Amino acid sequence: MITIAFLLGPPCLGPDWSIDSDPTVDDRKSENGGSPGTDGYRGSCSVSLDSMDGEEEEKKKGRVKVENVGGKSTVTRCFSCYPLKLILPNKAGSSKSDAVWIYALSYGGGIVSGDRISLAISVGDGCTAILTTQASTKVYKSVDSKCSEQILEARVGRDALLAVIPDPVTCFATARYSQKQVFRLYADSSLVLVDWITSGRHESGERWEFDLYRSMNHIYLEEDQPLFIDSVLLDKTSDTSIAERMQGYQVMAMVVISGPKLKDLRHQLQEEVKQMMSARSPNSSRNYHIKSEFQHSPTRLPLIASCSPFGPQVSFKIFTRSLVPGQPPKGIYCSVFTHPCMIYLAPSQALGVVVRIAATTTHSVYMFLKHHLAALEPFLGAAPYCQSGR
Amino acid sequence: MMFFQVSNVFALTRDGDERLERRSALQTLTARESDAIDFFMECDMDTDKGNDAAGRELLQWSQWQLMDSVLPTGGFAHSYGLEAAVQTQFVTSPLDLKPYIVQVLENTGSLLLPFVYCAYISPDIANWSKLDKLLEATLTNEVSRKASASQGSALLRVAASVYLEVPSLKRMRDAYLGSGTAYFHHAPIFGLICGLLGFDSNTCQKMYLFTTMRDVISAATRLNLIGPLGASVLQHQLAPVAERITKKWMDHPVEEACQVAPLLDTVQGLLGHNNVACLPKLRFSSLFALARDGDELLLRRSALQKPTAREIE
Repeated sequence: MITIAFLLGPPCLGPDWSIDSDPTVDDRKSENGGSPGTDGYRGSCSVSLDSMDGEEEEKKKGRVKVENVGGKSTVTRCFSCYPLKLILPNKAGSSKSDAVWIYALSYGGGIVSGDRISLAISVGDGCTAILTTQASTKVYKSVDSKCSEQILEARVGRDALLAVIPDPVTCFATARYSQKQVFRLYADSSLVLVDWITSGRHESGERWEFDLYRSMNHIYLEEDQPLFIDSVLLDKTSDTSIAERMQGYQVMAMVVISGPKLKDLRHQLQEEVKQMMSARSPNSSRNYHIKSEFQHSPTRLPLIASCSPFGPQVSFKIFTRSLVPGQPPKGIYCSVFTHPCMIYLAPSQALGVVVRIAATTTHSVYMFLKHHLAALEPFLGAAPYCQSGR
Repeated sequence: MMFFQVSNVFALTRDGDERLERRSALQTLTARESDAIDFFMECDMDTDKGNDAAGRELLQWSQWQLMDSVLPTGGFAHSYGLEAAVQTQFVTSPLDLKPYIVQVLENTGSLLLPFVYCAYISPDIANWSKLDKLLEATLTNEVSRKASASQGSALLRVAASVYLEVPSLKRMRDAYLGSGTAYFHHAPIFGLICGLLGFDSNTCQKMYLFTTMRDVISAATRLNLIGPLGASVLQHQLAPVAERITKKWMDHPVEEACQVAPLLDTVQGLLGHNNVACLPKLRFSSLFALARDGDELLLRRSALQKPTAREIE
């Protein structure tokens, strides 16, 4: 999911940030006199509602390519077009880790009715990339029943890691929003995906008052084998209203962790979620400092999380002949369980795990994510969701 | 139509497929079963199932049998998250039950009915295999996934033995069982069977939603949320809702399959954590060890008990 942030004048992102813009960014004639921007980006594109396969749409698609250059993950291509803006800070993570941080932002602070944003990202073999946002994605009210749309297509190479860890989507009253994220992985690719939504400006009383929210997350293995197909639709045309279905919860979140690099994190997360939920009682929320907001059902938990493994059983085979002292063994890869000829050196485990969370406050989910994804810090160079005030 | 001894072969086992396979492999066809095969083969030759009125009337008997809870498909094994909802206090009284069941029906319609429909309109093995794999990836909740696979394989096992006029069911089952490439999820198998038997599209999809409603209400009875009579009243009250949901979600392609109740999914996943019953049929079986006959036993129990306040109402 792409983040939206409010960009005021020159990027006030701190002295350590520099904006890399790709010299191959195309100059486009501004069709409606769009502002030149302050960071060297020139031109703007008008949004059309053609199908994604059209040539026009292909030109407007944001693109990021991360490749292994001299042993380091490097962005070799970066293109973005209104209403999407990509920022690649140099020092988002520690210099010891090999990871590229990509911030996706928008002009004007949110997605307006009819906007269509698309991004294609490719992570090369052995690389690590993080796609995130600066603030929650606000979707403004729909005008003329138009739907706003965001599309992300990601390819993750062998032994590579992609972490998509954005802020939540917040749809305002009468908004219509649809997002589709498609990930194509190899058996040894790793993926962290966080996709979440809040009910609106719920502190102001706007709770689940949008007209349409659709989110599709499709993960494919080895080109076309479906691994994880999740599609959520919340709309007003059902028998029960969205608010009734949500039973007082204001935030719905989903965390997907897949791939061999993150085996320990998966195991740890499953254990922690199980412990958290089995120790439940009306007071078990005190670790997260949450006040229950329920009036009619005081015994219901302010945050519930459930964990499910998915995907084929995975076993590991190590090529010992590639071992050279001082170098990591090459050729560590996964093979699907059904091949009878493989040698199993590690206990089988499902390829991925999905955690679903429902909570009454956005803050509690930030705390949950910060706490349980902290183990990603060595991979990403910084812990996800660690910035204060979020 | 004969309801022959096949049911005895299936009814005793809690462990599902393995024991059954061994037993049925050892048994040769009884005289009655061979008669049944001959009977259906004759019917096949005499009537054109798709068009002939007599054929359609004969189909009704198959339809009713497929919807009958007596059919040993293990429908009682899955509580559709009701058990977890009770434990986490999302459903605390009969008043919470009706909206919960409506959400289950809506989620079934939006997520699973497209799979039933797509398997129905193209009831060949290649299409079924594709849908089966897709549903395995779509059912991201482990509890639902396991329940669907166990229900589907039980249904296929029964259908392969009962509907002998469709030999491809048995062939398919023999080909894919143990291969590791098929999961036997319930929705595609249901659609496949209906398609091969020649039911009409509307009926097939309504039947699927009916069996879901029947099973979740049955689970509510077993969880003592509602008495058997109250359950029947509730089921009748939910009929217009189920009809609306069927009309809304029927005839959709699988690309449009989606969840409309994400909170339900979150709650359903909680059941696995507590290890109370990842496969609830174990627990139900121990409580109602003789309940091959499901509702009959319950009715006998409730006849002995004094009617509760709910039932008096």
